[in-house]
Order: sequence, then C-alpha cells, then structure tokens
Amino acid sequence: MIRKTRSQDALLLSVALVAGFFALIAAFSPANAGPKQDAVIAKLAAEAGVASFSAKNGEAFFQGTHTGGKPETTSCTTCHTKNPRAMGKTRVGKPIEPMAVSANPTRFIDPEKLAKWFRRNCNSVVGRECTTTEKGEILTYLSSI
Amino acid sequence: MSTKTETFFPLIPVWDIFIRVFHWSLVLAVSVAGLTGFLLGATWLDIHIWAGAAAGALIFARLVWGFLGSAYARFKNFVPGPATLRLHLNELRSGTAPRHIGHNPLGALMILGLIGTILALGLSGAVQLGGEFKTGPLAFLFSYDTARLMADLHGAFANILLTLVILHVAGALYESWRTRENLPKSMLTGQKQSRPGDHVTPQGHALPILASIAILGGLGLSLWGGVTLAARPGFGAAKPPVNAVYADECSACHMAFPPSLMPGENWTQLMQTLPDHFGEDASLGRTTTRELTDWLIANSADTVDTKPARVLARVDPANPIMLTKTPFWLATHDPIDDATFKRAPIYSRSNCAACHSDADSGAFYPGNIDIPAALKPETKTANN
Ligand code: HEC
Ligand code: HEC
Ligand code: HEC
Repeated sequence: MIRKTRSQDALLLSVALVAGFFALIAAFSPANAGPKQDAVIAKLAAEAGVASFSAKNGEAFFQGTHTGGKPETTSCTTCHTKNPRAMGKTRVGKPIEPMAVSANPTRFIDPEKLAKWFRRNCNSVVGRECTTTEKGEILTYLSSI
Repeated sequence: MSTKTETFFPLIPVWDIFIRVFHWSLVLAVSVAGLTGFLLGATWLDIHIWAGAAAGALIFARLVWGFLGSAYARFKNFVPGPATLRLHLNELRSGTAPRHIGHNPLGALMILGLIGTILALGLSGAVQLGGEFKTGPLAFLFSYDTARLMADLHGAFANILLTLVILHVAGALYESWRTRENLPKSMLTGQKQSRPGDHVTPQGHALPILASIAILGGLGLSLWGGVTLAARPGFGAAKPPVNAVYADECSACHMAFPPSLMPGENWTQLMQTLPDHFGEDASLGRTTTRELTDWLIANSADTVDTKPARVLARVDPANPIMLTKTPFWLATHDPIDDATFKRAPIYSRSNCAACHSDADSGAFYPGNIDIPAALKPETKTANN
C-alpha cells in the first residue's frame, strides 16, 4: 500500500519535471511567428498567388539601401537598425520596439497598423507603396529570425 | 588707530538678537535672489523664488518687530520727520552732526527704502510668476501681458535695490570712518560705544512673545492663503490635453507636441502636409486627419495665455510649422551645443521631453528643465 503510493508519487514527480523542462525550453527558445502572424502572411501569399515567400529576399530589401525615397531615410534600418531583434529609434530619437517577432510577439497582428506603416515607410524609403510580394517577404524575414 | 579710542568708551547693547539675525539673513536672501536673478539662467528660477519669498517673510517679521521689538528696533524711535532730517543734513554739511546710537535719520530713510523696495520686488515677482508661468498664488489672476509689464517693473525695482544696497554699504562705511567705529561689526556683536553727546534712544521693552505670535500667525496665514490660491487653475493656463487618437498617432516618431505650442493656422498647414512631413510620410486617413486638425485648432496657442504659446507663436516665416526654428526657441537654446542635442538620450532638438519634464503639458516651467547626462558608452552599441 505504502510502496504503491510512493511509486505513484515518483511517477507524478517525473512527469511534472519533464513537463516543466519542456515549458522552460518553450519559454526561452526564440518563438517563431505565432498563428496570427502566420495568418497575415498566408493572406498576403494568397493575394500574391504564391505558396510562400522568400525570407532571403525580405532580408535583402530590409537591410538594403534604396533610392527613390526621401533622402533622410534610405533604408528600413535607418530607424529599425540592422538587428531587427534590437530596439530601433526614430530620427527624433524615440525608441522603436524590435521588429523581429521572436523579440516582440505583438508585431504585425493589427492589419490597420500594418497597412499604415507599410504605406508610410515604403513611401519614405523607396518612394512608392511596397508590392504584396515585398510585404510578404519582409514579414517572412522578420518572422523567421 | 581707532583702537585707542575704543577702549575708553563703555559698550552698550543696541542691536538686539532679532535685528542681527534678521539683518544677516536678509543679506543672504537678497544676495541669492540677486545672484540668481541678475546673473544665472532661467533654470535657477526656483531658487530665485525661494530666496525672494524668504526675503519677503523676513521683511514681514521686521515690520512686526518694528512695533513690538526693543527700543532701537521700533519705527517710532527712528523714522525721522522732515525737521529732524533737515537738521541732520545741515549738521552733516557743517561737520557738527552728533553720533546716533540707533539709526541716524539718513540711515533710517535707507531702512524704509530697502524695506519698501524689497516688498515691491516680492509683489511684482509674485505677479510675474503668476502671469508668466501660471504658478504661485497669483496665477489665477494675471495674464501674460500683465506679467510682462510686471517683469519690467520687477527689473526696475531690482536695479533700485542694487543701488540702495550700494549706498547703504557706502553710508555704513562712511559713518564708520566719520565716527571712528566699526558699524558692520556692531551689527554682528550688537554693541556700540556710548560716548558723550550721542543721540540715545530711550530704552523700551521688547514684547517677544506677542511678536512671535504675530509673526508666526501672519506667516502661517499667508502660507495657508498662498497655498489655497495657488491651487486655483492659472489664468489662461493650458488644460492637460487628452486625445487618445492624437496621443497614439502623433507620438509614434516623436513626443506628442502639446497643441498649445502652435497657432491653429500653423497646425492646419502641418496636418495638410503630413504625406511629406519633415522628410517622412506621416500620412493619416482622411477622417482622422480632419478630426485631429479640429482638435488641434480647438486647443491651439490661440486658445491659451501661456508663455510658451505666446513666445513660440512668433514663427519663422520660412519654417511656419517648426517650433525649433522660432526665433525665441533659437535664442533660448543657443547656449546648448549641437553635440548635446545629437547625443543619447536626447538625439534631436525636437525631443523637448528629454530636457523639459513637463513638456507634455505645454507648461515648460524653467524649474522643470534638466539636460540629461550622457549615457554610458555601452548603451550606444546595444543596437549592433
Ligand atoms: C523614419 C523611420 C522609419 C523608417 C525609415 C522605417 N520605419 Fe518602419 N516604423 C517606424 C515607426 C516609428 C513605426 C511605428 C512604431 C512601432 O510600431 O513600434 C514603424 C512600424 C513599422 C511596421 C509596423 C509594425 C507592426 O507592428 O505592425 C512595419 C511593418 C515597418 N515599420 C516596416 C518598415 C520597413 C519595411 C521599412 C523600410 C522600407 C521601414 N519600416 C522603415 C519607423 C520607420
Ligand atoms: C513617421 C514619423 C512621424 C510621425 C508619425 C509624425 N511626425 Fe512629426 N516629425 C517627424 C520628424 C522626423 C520631424 C522632424 C524632427 C527634426 O527635424 O528633428 C517631425 C517634426 C514635427 C514638428 C516640428 C518639431 C520641431 O522641431 O519644431 C511638429 C510640430 C510635428 N512633427 C507634429 C506632428 C504631428 C501633429 C503629428 C501627428 C499628426 C506628427 N508630427 C506625426 C516625424 C513624424
Ligand atoms: C537639450 C535639452 C533641451 C531640449 C531638447 C529642449 N530644450 Fe527647451 N530649454 C532647455 C534649457 C536648458 C532651457 C533654459 C535656457 C535658459 O537658461 O534660459 C530651455 C528653455 C526653454 C523655454 C523657455 C522657458 C522659460 O520660460 O524661460 C521654452 C519655452 C522651451 N525651452 C521650449 C522647448 C521646446 C518646445 C522644445 C522642443 C521642441 C525644447 N525646449 C527642447 C533645454 C532644452
């Protein structure tokens, strides 16, 4: 009777330990895009008629220097910095939360906000709206790192 | 040379302890107020005000003591009539003026002049503080324009006080030389020599308990009244602006500038040019743009009476929607070098809130200015 209870306890304990271990790993491992970001990207993919976007192209666009926009802002990294997992800052010095979803899980989940800033920032940097493909690639890149 | 004479005359008490403590405290308070007012910048305003308030409180106590203090402190024993004054002047001219143990008639006039001028400074200062900065007991009563007039008066009184102080010191030194007695020292020890032929004031009793009650009661009452009045909203002060959409949309790239900093006309122009906003696209939807424009106009510089609203309303015609290009802004921030504006955690001239802790309210009170220290180098590299 007593022995049985002990072994049940041991079993429960080890289950709890294993579960805790996995919870810990989950908490500290870089979270990739959550379901909400996936849905946003999937919608763009459907619009562009592709299965998925190239994170590499997104990286090139985001990290690259562009012409055609305003001379004060020639790259997305002017404000968001070269490391999307780090804090950025505006030209007036106000901090911008990280762009990488792994560092900031609340990114890209508000469609209105997303549309507004894509419109503004693409206009500032490349002097035009970004295409659906460009947007999808950028978000795929920022969700993958 | 005078030490020989000094030893021959007995010393008698003249300036009681109240008068001496009062005198030197007033010297300190007026010096601090004068130094901060004449020489140091706006950021010293709080200390200037405290020194001025202390001087005012001291003068009030002195007035009470002038009626309830010891013989040499009482006004009735030293304030001269015209006849006494004329006689004293004639005697000075002919070199026959006797020594006065207390204030001599000219010295007495100086005391009254100093007291009156300091009171006038306190009053004009309180009006200026109220009208210009919308703080203090008189903030509810006075406009910015009244405050500007008062500022001129305050400056004139300050120059008069400076002149009086110089004359007062010169008079004390001259009289010390003329009568061979160190008068500044008597204001420390309280004692003077008693010589034959001196004008002596009949001794009388001080009423220290009654005087303390009157002084503490009066100051307590003023403090209570001042605090009560100061709690009233300032005349034409900017109300803390609340608009969630504005706070959200216009604070994404910089602080949400208080609407009271620019006239409505200039806000309208700014809102119409958002797609090309200082080298960035800051465009908003049509409805939001219209709503925010209306709100900005309703709370613009045209609707308040604050100093920042008034001084920044004079814009640079070439940059009509910039605060940092207004002549006033350029003049007041001229002492700050370019590198300071560029460095962390300031980054830009437009980052008002970095140095003005009350920037959000539009008050920009000088006591709330603090240029933040440079950040440590490691925070600079945190982005890489
Ligand atoms: C002038 C500074 C600046 C530049 C240049 C800039 N951004 Fe931004 N970006 C901002 C600010 C400010 C925000 C809004 C603040 C926030 O979301 O934390 C923002 C937000 C965004 C958002 C919305 C994020 C969300 O959570 O929905 C996206 C997407 C974005 N930027 C992409 C870009 C891209 C792509 C580029 C280059 C084409 C770029 N930005 C260039 C300043 C800039
Ligand atoms: C996309 C980023 C962005 C957004 C959004 C934005 N601004 Fe600006 N704003 C700037 C930049 C950049 C400057 C120029 C600052 C400089 O030159 O230091 C500026 C400057 C200003 C100035 C002049 C400041 C000065 O230095 O005199 C005012 C006023 C202003 N903005 C008001 C607004 C208002 C009102 C809104 C909301 C409708 C708004 N801004 C939204 C980026 C932005
Ligand atoms: C780097 C710090 C810094 C920044 C940024 C800054 N200020 Fe100031 N400001 C000061 C200092 C310091 C003074 C006081 C100068 C003096 O001693 O007279 C001052 C004075 C003023 C005054 C006058 C106060 C008075 O009544 O005497 C106003 C108004 C003002 N600033 C507005 C602004 C506005 C508006 C902005 C943003 C557009 C701004 N400042 C940005 C440091 C700064």
